[in-house]
Amino acid sequence: METKVTKHFSGPLMKQNIRSNIVLIVAITLIMLLMSTVMNYAMSIMGGGTSSEDLTEYQTEFYTYLGAMAQYDELSGAELSYSDFVEAQDKTAYETAFTMLNAEGDLSLSVDGFQASIDGLSKGSVSIDTYVQEFEYNYVLLQSEGYFTGDDLTIQGLMDVMFESMGIDSKMIDTMMSMDPTVMINQMCYTVAGLLPMFLLIVFLANSLVVDQVDKGSMAYVLSTPTKRSAVAKTQMLFMIFVPFIIILLVCISRLISTQAFFGEVDVASTIALFAGMYILSEAVSAICYMGSCIFNRSRSSMAFGGGLSVWFFLASLLGMFGSDMMVDMGMGVKELGYFNRLTLVGLYDIDSLSTVGSSSVDYAFVWKLLILVGVAIVCYAVGAVRFKKRDLPL
Amino acid sequence: MSDTIIKTEGLTKDYGYGRGIFDINLEIKKGEVFGYVGTNGSGKTTTIRSMMGFIKPDGGSSSILGLDSWKKAPEIMKDVSYIPGEIAFPSLPTGTAFLKSQAEYLGVTDYTYMNHIIEMLQLDPTANLKRMSKGMKQKTAIVAALMGEKDILVLDEPTTGLDPLMRDSFLDLIREEKAKGHTVFMSSHIFEEIEEVCDRVAMIKDGKIVDVANLYDLRHSKTKDYTITFNSSDEAAKFASHTQLSPTLEKDTCRVVFPKTDINEFFAILKGYSICSLHENKITLEDYFIKMYEKGAK
Repeated sequence: METKVTKHFSGPLMKQNIRSNIVLIVAITLIMLLMSTVMNYAMSIMGGGTSSEDLTEYQTEFYTYLGAMAQYDELSGAELSYSDFVEAQDKTAYETAFTMLNAEGDLSLSVDGFQASIDGLSKGSVSIDTYVQEFEYNYVLLQSEGYFTGDDLTIQGLMDVMFESMGIDSKMIDTMMSMDPTVMINQMCYTVAGLLPMFLLIVFLANSLVVDQVDKGSMAYVLSTPTKRSAVAKTQMLFMIFVPFIIILLVCISRLISTQAFFGEVDVASTIALFAGMYILSEAVSAICYMGSCIFNRSRSSMAFGGGLSVWFFLASLLGMFGSDMMVDMGMGVKELGYFNRLTLVGLYDIDSLSTVGSSSVDYAFVWKLLILVGVAIVCYAVGAVRFKKRDLPL
Repeated sequence: MSDTIIKTEGLTKDYGYGRGIFDINLEIKKGEVFGYVGTNGSGKTTTIRSMMGFIKPDGGSSSILGLDSWKKAPEIMKDVSYIPGEIAFPSLPTGTAFLKSQAEYLGVTDYTYMNHIIEMLQLDPTANLKRMSKGMKQKTAIVAALMGEKDILVLDEPTTGLDPLMRDSFLDLIREEKAKGHTVFMSSHIFEEIEEVCDRVAMIKDGKIVDVANLYDLRHSKTKDYTITFNSSDEAAKFASHTQLSPTLEKDTCRVVFPKTDINEFFAILKGYSICSLHENKITLEDYFIKMYEKGAK
């Protein structure tokens, strides 16, 4: 007989896998693409285009000018001010004032510089009048000191005292002010939006590739041909490795493109690192589901095993998120919930340290975590494949 | 004709609680059509699964073409076609898609034989695979298995769901296979079909082989068995007194069992009597089976 025994890879089986699962795969891919793009768009609107860091710079610059002008007014009796500066056609008065102040205090003030800081600030959502008013309070407080204590008085101090008297922790206000909602959405993008559809797909695929066909009996048509069991195990494993890869690759590319489109710039290295991490996590989970699918006789048992664990991983990571420093600081979480992060494989997907890839200070904490995930994937795939070769099949 | 194709030696698979198969010894020769009968749950499928290498025996061994079923299953499959007892297809859209995919697994590129079977079974493979009736599914499974044109066929209740006409077509197919010199091992719980095509039959009960019968002996019985109804009980009594045939009398009927060679003499004797009806009692496989079963039960 010239027929050969299929030892490693079965083409017809792969074709069959693709044909019977293509609809689900395409649907999940579309959902993930849509979610990632919409969330990215939402972030671009929330972020307002300019990050707060740039504004602080303009703000200090602006206050320096206002401070200098106030000093000059007091000394020379002039009436230089922001509103006057904006309205005045002739800026010579300001030029002379600035040159004088420069000579006196080793500064580098100029009309253009002042204008630049105004232009910069006006990009933000807060009106310049508000900044001027804030300056007024600052300036006056700077002139005086505490009546009883003799301490310096600052706006910050005033605010802290006010909130404290109202029973609100001033630290919380700090974090809330410095909090960037885009950070949270970003985190959601990689955990909730990315992992949930992925886990669903993995649980379903793992089940339909092995245990379902054994349970139903349709595997008989494969194994009654000269196809080794190990070829079946390897082909199905390959499918479980490639499908998440292709989906995550597509989502990653779309994410890079949409970020470029919405923000005008994109951090390629950290985005790729985040998606690579997501892929490794997906593979660890998919290996666990594959193992369940190879070990169990009943489709239901395997579903309970793989699906149950995946749901647990996902829910625990959600709970764990409420234990993260950010959520605790915001008053939306409890530190103790952070323990859940240690009870789920998702906790080994370290978004914080992965997003530092490509920046000047890379946090390598993600490396050992991802290595654990890789280890889990290899062990579970191997155990599943070996078990499938040695077990009784009710075909 | 004496080459052993399938052989089991002390094959045992114990599922506990008395379920499973125990010490199964079978030997199927080349070109034989071997029937395997037994009631539901008697262990037919377990035996076949062991032969196909899907399950590992707890004791003993099974081999096909001298290759161990468990260890060399993929090698064996080069020469074996299999129809599973439970029909479940992979999730493909139509019967055609399934048959094509199956042809790929088997490396079949010439569809002439496949089309021949499709024609014989009057199968329309373009139908939706999931919506097929039980009979349609069974036909599809038969086509999928037989298209490989392999030397050995292992069939687990291949006629379930087929209507009587289709069953006949299927049995014709089996005869074709036999004519080609192929070896067939088929299980069934329908005696007629086994009786029609098989050369030998093994009976299994509660996981143990009760008997292996040669159907040639059954078909070509050495004795004849007739029931004669006479016009009157006097006639019957007169006939019963005929010592040579030693008939058993009951009212106006007599039953006689005699060697086949005495048939002409029997009719010569009958000539002198006034007969109402004459009926030949044939031993069917079913009778034989029930007899053996009762024996096995004791």
